[in-house]
Parts: sequence; structure tokens; C-alpha cells
Amino acid sequence: MKNVIEVKNLTKEYKKLKAVDNLTFDVYEGEILGLLGPNGSGKSTTINCILSLLNFSDGSIKIFGKEMKPNAYDLKREIGVVFQDVAIFDELSVYDNIDYFCGLYIKDKEARKSCIEDAIALVGLEDFKKFYPKQLSGGLLRRLNIACGIAHKPKLIFLDEPTVAVDPQSRNNILDGIEKLRNNGATIVYTTHYMEEVEILCDRVIILDKGKIIASGTTDELKELAKIEEKVSVEVKDLDEKYIEDIKDLDNVEDVDYSNGLLLITYKKGKNNLVELMDYLKKESIKYNKIFSERPTLNDVFLELTGKELRD
Amino acid sequence: MFIHNLKYSFKTLLKNKMLIFWTFAFPIILGTFFKMAFSNIENSEKLDIIDIAIVENDEFKNNEIFKETFKELSDDNNEEKLFDIQYVNEEEAKELLNNDEITGYLIIKDEPNIVVNTSGINETILKYVTEEITQTQSMIENVAQNKVEEKVKDIVAGKIQFTSYEEIYKQIYDEIVDMLDKNNANISNISSSNLSYTMIEFYTLIAMACLYGGILGLVAINQNLPNMSNNGKRVAMSPTPKYKVILSSVLASYIIQLIGIALLFIYTIFALKVDYGTNLPLIVLLACAGCLAGLSMGVAIASVFKTNDNLKTGIVISFTMFGCFLSGMMGITMKYIVDKNLPLVNKLNPASMITDGFYSLYYYDTLDRFYFNLISLLAFASLMIVISILSLRRQKYDNI
Ligand SMILES: Nc1ncnc2c1ncn2[C@@H]1O[C@H](COP(=O)(O)OP(=O)(O)O)[C@@H](O)[C@H]1O
Ligand SMILES: [Mg+2]
Repeated sequence: MKNVIEVKNLTKEYKKLKAVDNLTFDVYEGEILGLLGPNGSGKSTTINCILSLLNFSDGSIKIFGKEMKPNAYDLKREIGVVFQDVAIFDELSVYDNIDYFCGLYIKDKEARKSCIEDAIALVGLEDFKKFYPKQLSGGLLRRLNIACGIAHKPKLIFLDEPTVAVDPQSRNNILDGIEKLRNNGATIVYTTHYMEEVEILCDRVIILDKGKIIASGTTDELKELAKIEEKVSVEVKDLDEKYIEDIKDLDNVEDVDYSNGLLLITYKKGKNNLVELMDYLKKESIKYNKIFSERPTLNDVFLELTGKELRD
Repeated sequence: MFIHNLKYSFKTLLKNKMLIFWTFAFPIILGTFFKMAFSNIENSEKLDIIDIAIVENDEFKNNEIFKETFKELSDDNNEEKLFDIQYVNEEEAKELLNNDEITGYLIIKDEPNIVVNTSGINETILKYVTEEITQTQSMIENVAQNKVEEKVKDIVAGKIQFTSYEEIYKQIYDEIVDMLDKNNANISNISSSNLSYTMIEFYTLIAMACLYGGILGLVAINQNLPNMSNNGKRVAMSPTPKYKVILSSVLASYIIQLIGIALLFIYTIFALKVDYGTNLPLIVLLACAGCLAGLSMGVAIASVFKTNDNLKTGIVISFTMFGCFLSGMMGITMKYIVDKNLPLVNKLNPASMITDGFYSLYYYDTLDRFYFNLISLLAFASLMIVISILSLRRQKYDNI
């Protein structure tokens, strides 16, 4: 696998705060790498350092094998960035916004036109070309923001929390679009604090906390890090205290919680947990409505590693 | 790429309502307001003959230029009569002033002094006339000295024939009288246009419009710098060098600014009937330089300060307003006071450079003062541009 980005010992300090602390990682060609971390964990700072917008105290950045610098225009040509904050002109229509930013990369008018049309199709703004940003909903605005960043068909794309405060429809559209970009051959660095997105989208994940990498790997690899195997919830009315005590003694059970007619059982590593539970419920003739099992989430991993929730 | 940027700079700047208000609408509204507020004053002012006193001491009696000029300006047969003069001693003059019987009095002790109680139009006119005469006087003294030296040199060099002292003095005398006539025209000019009180207002209005162009420059810079705006981050990440994008934006700003000034001139000349005098090419030249000064000031403020747009706009607007105030926007007396007591302030004040440049075109026959102002404006603009470049050279930021 070819390295598209090589980050070595990246450290960035704001006055006293170490926002990014000795990060080392690579991004491989054709993958979607997720940078997952709570607000303030240093995701945006990392990206801005990689892009050479920010000074950093230590470390080195290589993109496509070359050192990244503010005047590395040949590299910049191949990079597309969707910043965390919406960056568009209120005074320009949807089409003109994309045209303006794309024009900073592509001189040829015809070539640019086809790029713009592709970008508009990708984010599904065909019906809004002549609209002005003020007339767009938050979700559509985010989609325009993305279109402006990727219209020039970059080989490497950074997306910094592109789905914050976005309605579900736009979110799905955005995630689909990112998948398409990858399928067309782009390498993508995607930051978010929504673990669900990372699970759906990313080939590999780096979990950041307080500017440090606390774990990295595929989603499955990360989930292995969690001590728990699964969480089972059972909807059951008026469960007697003695049954709860019994369930606590079943194999692998880590913790049992019963409130408001919902029984929540957390299991340590182990097999056949659900089967054993159902056998027990049958044996005691306990009536239940629904029963379902959840694999641990990345939130559980994060909780495990840092002792706090991913989202506050 | 350049044309592309230029096109979109026009689009974004022209559609920005805040910009259009400050650079296009506000000066026109203010101009209309000036016209309404001052047209009455202007009319009544013309009829006023100002009561003054002159302390008739030896120094006055020996000062031919003052004696003659005031005599002329108080002559009943003079269409442009400006003053009714009582010739008194100092005690009497004081008393007349205290009893409000006169606007002020002139007393020459070493230097000509004007004593007034309050500040107003009449007081200002009296001061201006006196100053004008003083300037004329010192000019004549200089000229006379130079002429004598010139003649002596010419004689020594054999360029002219030495005939007699009388002959030489006669020549010098004629030349000076010639000059005096010209300068008398200058002074009566002041009286006939009664210092055109409102003209200064319109000069400062143009100055204000020029300097407000700074807001355009400010927006043009802000939208292209990664540490100032999100759009600037996009620009910084593109393969188009920063200076190209900034140059095209600033150029677009300048063109828009010139259009705004042109509209203001057209509106004030044709709708408000303001008379800017005859020297149109020089007026346009000065306005262009004024716009450049305003624009570069905005660019410098935008490049140096890292705060939000509104605060920067506030800085440009208040700086401009204050400058215009000092150069006479809210009353010519202010310009007089500052010119007199803090000359350096108005020499460094771009609003005053513009106002004074127009003023000098209107009131003086020579262009020295005009060119001094023009060059001052260009120097101011250059300084601002240097500051901007120094601060724009940064490529990476400590925080964005
Ligand atoms: N311009 C700045 N000046 C000082 N501290 C900053 C600045 N930008 C970010 N920080 C701090 O750096 C840390 C990382 O911020 P950021 O990279 O924005 O996190 P994230 O993108 O993961 O939410 C935070 O603690 C934040 O408060
Ligand atoms: Mg962020």
C-alpha cells in the first residue's frame, strides 16, 4: 500500500495548550481514514497542520512523498479540503460559488464546467444551482460547502466534520457522496465525533483524545479493545429481585441493570450469551416483549480507554 | 485566473449591502443633507458685512499692505465690501468687543493678531482674510529680496546693463505691484465667494468617500486570508498564489471605489449644483490618489489586525470620520484651529490632504500646495502598502 500522507511526531502548541501531541500516522492510498475524537481533541488542528496553514512546533509532514509547504502548489492542486466551518460567499449563487473556488484550480472553462456539474450531481444540488446561500437549509449549505471543496477532482480529500448539525437526509447524501469519491479513486481523511459515521464509512480509524492517539485500526480491531462482548436489553415487566440476582450469576455477565421495565445486561468476552439467557428466561417462565443484543460501540471503546463518553 | 478572480471580486463586493451603503449611498445622502442644511446659511451670509475694529497703532500705520487691503475691503464703492471698520486704540477695541459691537479686532504687535470672543462664520472669515494678507506680505518680502539679489547677479554677470539705482528699483517695484494685484484678486476671491462655507463641507465629503473605500479594501483582504475568514482558508489551500488573488481583489475594490466617487461627483455637480472650480483633471487626479490612500489604509488595517470584520469596519469608519472632522467637515473653524495650532496633525491626516488639495485648487493660483497634498497622499498610500506587504508575507499562522 502506498502512503499518501506521512505524519511524523507532529506537535502543535497554542500558547500553553498542547493541542496536538506527538502524532505519528500514515494515510494509505484509496482509503477513508477516520479521525475520531470528542470536541477539542485536536482533529481540526491536526488537519490544519498537515495542510501547512498552521505553524507547528515539531514534526514533519509528507504528502505524496513530498514535504508539504505553503508554496507547494503542485501538491495543493491535488488536494481538496472541506473545512469545519462553512466557507462560501453569501453574495454568490450555488453555481457561482463552486465556479469561483474551482476556478482557483482549473483555468479551462469547459473543463471547469463539467467538474462543477459533477460536483453538483454528487451532492444532489441540481435543483438549487441558481439559489443563494441564504435560501438554503443548513444541510444543503453543508452540501454546497463540500461541493466547493471537491469540484476540482482532487486525489486527496480532507473533510472536517462535514455532517455537524445536518438533517438525516443530508447526512445520508453526504456519506454516500464521500463513498463515491473514494470509489472514484480518492484518498479521504474524515474527521468526526459521530462514531456511527466512522463505523459506516471508514476503513481505518484513529481515535484522538487531548491531542494524542489513543487507539487506531479497523473498527473491528478497535472493538476487540473493549472488554465487553455485547450488551443485551430485554423488555420485561415487574421482574422480581431474585431473578436479577440469578441473572447476575450467569456466565460472563459483567453487570445487570433493571429500571422502567428494561433489563440491561452487559457481558464480558465469551460465547453463546444470548442463548443461555433465553434458556434461563424460558425455564423460569418469565414473559418478555422484545430482546435484542448490541455489539460494543466505539463509544464503549472510548469509554474503556479514557473513562469518559465520546460525546458530552 | 486573474480575470476570473476579478470577475468574482466584483460580484461579491458589489452585492455586499454594507459596502454599497458606506461607499455609495452614505456620501450621497450626507451630501444632500449638507446642501439642505447649508443653503440657507450660504444665502444670508452673502449679505453680511462684518463689523470689525482695527487698533491703529504705529505698527499698523507702517504696514502698507494691511492698511491698503483693509481699506479696500471696507470701501463702500467696492462691490465685494466685506468689513465695516472702526479705527480705534486697543482699550476701545476691547470695549467694543465686550459690548458685542464688533466681531473682532485686528491688532498688530510684532505679528498681526485677531481677537475674537466666540467662533463662528464671521470670526473665521476675519481670521482667513488676515492670514491671507500675512501670507501675501511675507511672500512679497521674500520676493523683493530675491528680486534684488537676482538683479545684482544679473548685473554682475553682465546680463543687464546697470543704468541707475532708480531704474533698477523701478523695475523691481513694477514687478511686485504686478504680483500684488494678483494677490488682491485672491483676497477678493475669498470675500466674493464668502469663503464658500459649504465648499469645505463638500471637500470633506469627497475626502470621506475616498477614505471609506478602505472598507472595500478591508473586505477584499479579509476574504482572502486564512487567518481572517473561512473563505480565505480555501484560497490559501488553492494552487493560486496568494498575491494574485489579493491583487485582483484589491484592483476590483479600487475600480468600484472610483465608480463610487465618480457618481458622487456627478451627483453633487449636477443635482446639488456644487462648483468645484475649473481644474477638473487635477480634481480627478486628487480624487484618484485619495481613493488609493483610503483603499491602502483599509488593506493595511485588515492585514495587521486580527479581529472580526465589524470591528475593522468600525476602525476605518471612525478614523475617517475623525479625520474629516479635523479637516472641517462639521465646520470650517475646526480646520482653521487644527491648521493653526496642530499643523502636523492635518499634514498627516489623509482626509485633510484631500480637503486641502481641493481647497488649494479653488483658492490659489499656484499649484504648489496642491502638489504637496497630492504627494502627501501618495506617500501615505505607499506607507500603508508597505505595512500591508510586510504583514501579508506571512505564509503560516500560529493560530487561525
Ligand atoms: N486558535 C486557537 N487558540 C488557542 N487554542 C486553540 C485554538 N484553536 C483550537 N484551540 C484549542 O486546541 C484544542 C484542539 O482544538 P481543535 O483542533 O479545534 O479540536 P477539534 O477539531 O477536535 O474539536 C482545543 O482545546 C481548543 O480549545
Ligand atoms: Mg474541529
